[in-house]
Amino acid sequence: MSAFFEVSSLGVHIGDAAILHNINIEFREGEVTALLGHNGSGKSTLLKVLARQLSPSSGNASLLGSSFRTTGARQFARTVGYLPQHPPGTDGLTVRELVALGRYPWRGPLGRYNSEDHRLIDQAIADTGLNPFQHRSVDTLSGGERQRAWIAMLLAQQTRCLLLDEPISALDVKHQVETLRLVHRLAEERELTVIVVLHDVDLAARFCDRLVALKAGRLIADGTPHDIMDSGVLESIYGVPMGVMERAPGQWVSYVH
Amino acid sequence: MYADASSPLVSRPVIPARLPVAAIILWFGALFASATPWLGELNVGALVSVFWTFNPDDYSSVLAHFSWAPRVSIAILIGCGLGLAGAVTQQVLGNPLASPTTLGVEAGGQFGVTVATLFAPGLLAFSPDLVAIGGGLLAIGMVIALTWRLGFSPVTVILAGLVITFFLGAMNMAFLLLKGEWLGNLFIWGAGSLVQNNWGPFMDLWPKVLVIAILMLLLMRPLQVLQLGQSSASSLGAKVGLVRALALFLVVLMTATVVSRVGVVAFVGLAAPVLARLLGARTLASRLLWSTLMGGGLLLLADTLAHWASTWGDGSLVPTGTTTALIGGPVILMALQGFRNTHHMPGQASNPGDFMPNRRSPLLVSGAVTALLAITLIVSMGWAPGLDGWNWTSVTQWDQAWVWRGPRMLAAMLAGVALGLAGTLIQRMTGNPMGSPEMLGISGGAALVMVLLVLSGTEVSRLGQLGAATLGAAGALGLLLLLARKHRFAGNQLLLGGLALYVFMDAGLRLVMASGGTVASQLLNWMYGSTWLVSENEAFGLMGFIVLICALLLLIVRPLTILPLGETSASSLGLPVVRARLLLLMLAAVLTASATVVIGPLSFVGLIAPHLARVLGQQTVGRQLIVAALVGGLLLAVADYLSRIVVFPNQLPAGLLAALVGGVYFLWGLSRHGK
Repeated sequence: MSAFFEVSSLGVHIGDAAILHNINIEFREGEVTALLGHNGSGKSTLLKVLARQLSPSSGNASLLGSSFRTTGARQFARTVGYLPQHPPGTDGLTVRELVALGRYPWRGPLGRYNSEDHRLIDQAIADTGLNPFQHRSVDTLSGGERQRAWIAMLLAQQTRCLLLDEPISALDVKHQVETLRLVHRLAEERELTVIVVLHDVDLAARFCDRLVALKAGRLIADGTPHDIMDSGVLESIYGVPMGVMERAPGQWVSYVH
Repeated sequence: MYADASSPLVSRPVIPARLPVAAIILWFGALFASATPWLGELNVGALVSVFWTFNPDDYSSVLAHFSWAPRVSIAILIGCGLGLAGAVTQQVLGNPLASPTTLGVEAGGQFGVTVATLFAPGLLAFSPDLVAIGGGLLAIGMVIALTWRLGFSPVTVILAGLVITFFLGAMNMAFLLLKGEWLGNLFIWGAGSLVQNNWGPFMDLWPKVLVIAILMLLLMRPLQVLQLGQSSASSLGAKVGLVRALALFLVVLMTATVVSRVGVVAFVGLAAPVLARLLGARTLASRLLWSTLMGGGLLLLADTLAHWASTWGDGSLVPTGTTTALIGGPVILMALQGFRNTHHMPGQASNPGDFMPNRRSPLLVSGAVTALLAITLIVSMGWAPGLDGWNWTSVTQWDQAWVWRGPRMLAAMLAGVALGLAGTLIQRMTGNPMGSPEMLGISGGAALVMVLLVLSGTEVSRLGQLGAATLGAAGALGLLLLLARKHRFAGNQLLLGGLALYVFMDAGLRLVMASGGTVASQLLNWMYGSTWLVSENEAFGLMGFIVLICALLLLIVRPLTILPLGETSASSLGLPVVRARLLLLMLAAVLTASATVVIGPLSFVGLIAPHLARVLGQQTVGRQLIVAALVGGLLLAVADYLSRIVVFPNQLPAGLLAALVGGVYFLWGLSRHGK
């Protein structure tokens, strides 16, 4: 697997406060990675840098070997899709219209949508199970459905990579699992690279191939779920004494002492 | 897999029938109303044909061809253009109340033309568009600079637009008072008159409007992506900043082109998209289309009303700008009812950074401000220019000088105190650093009554004026309370209600300005705060009143700290939210009314004093109130003194000086500290 994102000696400062220090990491293609860490550890900031929403104060980030600085806006958007933590209100757009906006990077301001675009839009709606809702206004959907509508928009964008910022933080357990399962399934079917910020370490271990943890803006753990789901490692990430049980292969339960 | 995906299939939404029906009714109603006077003289076929030909033997036909037909055409053209521009503005800023008028673009265009008329008339002959576009860009640039760091939230943008409109209006007025003899025509022009006497202006205008409209339509898809908010839009590859800038530039072009030809035709650009949206235009494409159509119909209707009013009245000209403003007010009120959620509009960042300078000792700061105030008062009483140069009045003679200098100084200072207090109350209540009594429309209500009084032509004593203005303020307050009850006295809704009241006041003002004469100058004197009219009794009455209110204010410091935490938190802390808001609102309104009768509705003191108090390091409510009151008093005391001496032996209105100086400070301060 080749490196999809490559980040070297990255630092981000906002005012005098340093949010990220000297981060060196690679994200490989086709891998589902979870970013872990407590509040304020810099995981959302790292994701924003990867999504080019934030330009780093120092260091470099590159996509598929070419530096962020030289990639055009729409070209970047055809490769990387980003879902912000709080998607804004959509002011009456229907699900289908929202998903159709995902074709913007490909068609630009004036290009006509052809049958291929409509097929991709249909496909994205079907893949996220939103067929019954496609003509409903996004604002009237429940939290879980709304999250799926936004993910469908990213799918229609046909990117090779999804960056999701806490996609499940406002959902109940059932919808959390459904959303992650959806992401996991899509990643497999479409061979997507996914980087997702998560708070729930058990769910992360269950659905992701790789866990990366930040603390106070530094990288402190990086490995397979098997490496990370260890009481010592978790304690160093979250700063509270923790224990881990492996209930079945690939299913861990962590708890606080 | 998805258990909740079983609800019935919802079919594709269609445009509701009421939209085309309303558009057709509007257009036919307006056309019919406009054509009625002519139907007696020409048959329908002949009337339709005057749009392209005329019968040289028939005087009515000639008249219709060169007067009526171009007027109708230009009304429709401009209405469509402004409607489209308004819809684009709303989309760019994700703000259902944005429009060329509320962003200050029209005021800016007018300002540009005024300046050019005075200082570079040659430029005006060369191209009136150019100066108007320059002014419009200036205005929108200032609005954007002001709101950049506050995250473009809808209410903030509108308030900044209003501040700019007031400010440029005050500049216009200052020119007028200093060089009045040159600007008589600008009044009528400034109020938007569509009277035509040939096809020239229309022929000149339509290609421009068409080209700008096509350019706007080319931006449609990027504009649609903007709806998803900054981060999603840019992650889709849209260059958000560029698209915004381009679209706003086109809006300024369209508006300024129109303004430079016919003057300020206010609120069509706001009313048309709001109507289209309320009637059910949902997608961007349909909003653009129907806003354009509604704009054309609305302006034709407004112009017809203006025409009728001119004919039926005593022959004095009623400019179209007046009638559009009269239509604009109710539309804003309708919008208020229609849009529930003005706090979280699409396409905006939700959390403006807070502005927190270092705290400073309240004793030190208020001591320093009090000392400055005392110095101002002493200088104001003692040091003044006379016939033979500057001289110093000794303390023993102060009892003689008091009659001339005392009451006005005292009244100005007290008005400043009242505005400072009211401003702090309102900013705290609404949680918006741009809230102020001027913006709440209370001042506007008082001014509206004064305008009506002047229009009716009755001679009223100073005391009568005072009573009338208080009545107006109370009326505005009552209307606001009615409106606000629906929204449980929530802050931002109130500010928008204030905007609607301001629109009404504006309409009345335009009418008076267009009529000209002594009435206009009398009103202008009051509007811009001529403190020299204040008598001793009034000044002492005001003082007693303010002291009384200050005592009441002690009761509300703590509720005012809790309220900004939000309704839920406040009521779970045991605060009766509705009652507390009502009390605060009453206090703010009474304070505003008492200040407005002295200093006029347009000073920025209520906006600036609380802001200055924060800059001076007073963050808690009680301290901010005290320092804001002192600063407000200081500002107006200084303004009053300066208004006496700057153009001695003539006088400038103190309110105008305060507005000019305050406006400059506000623009500078907010763009610098406003993060």
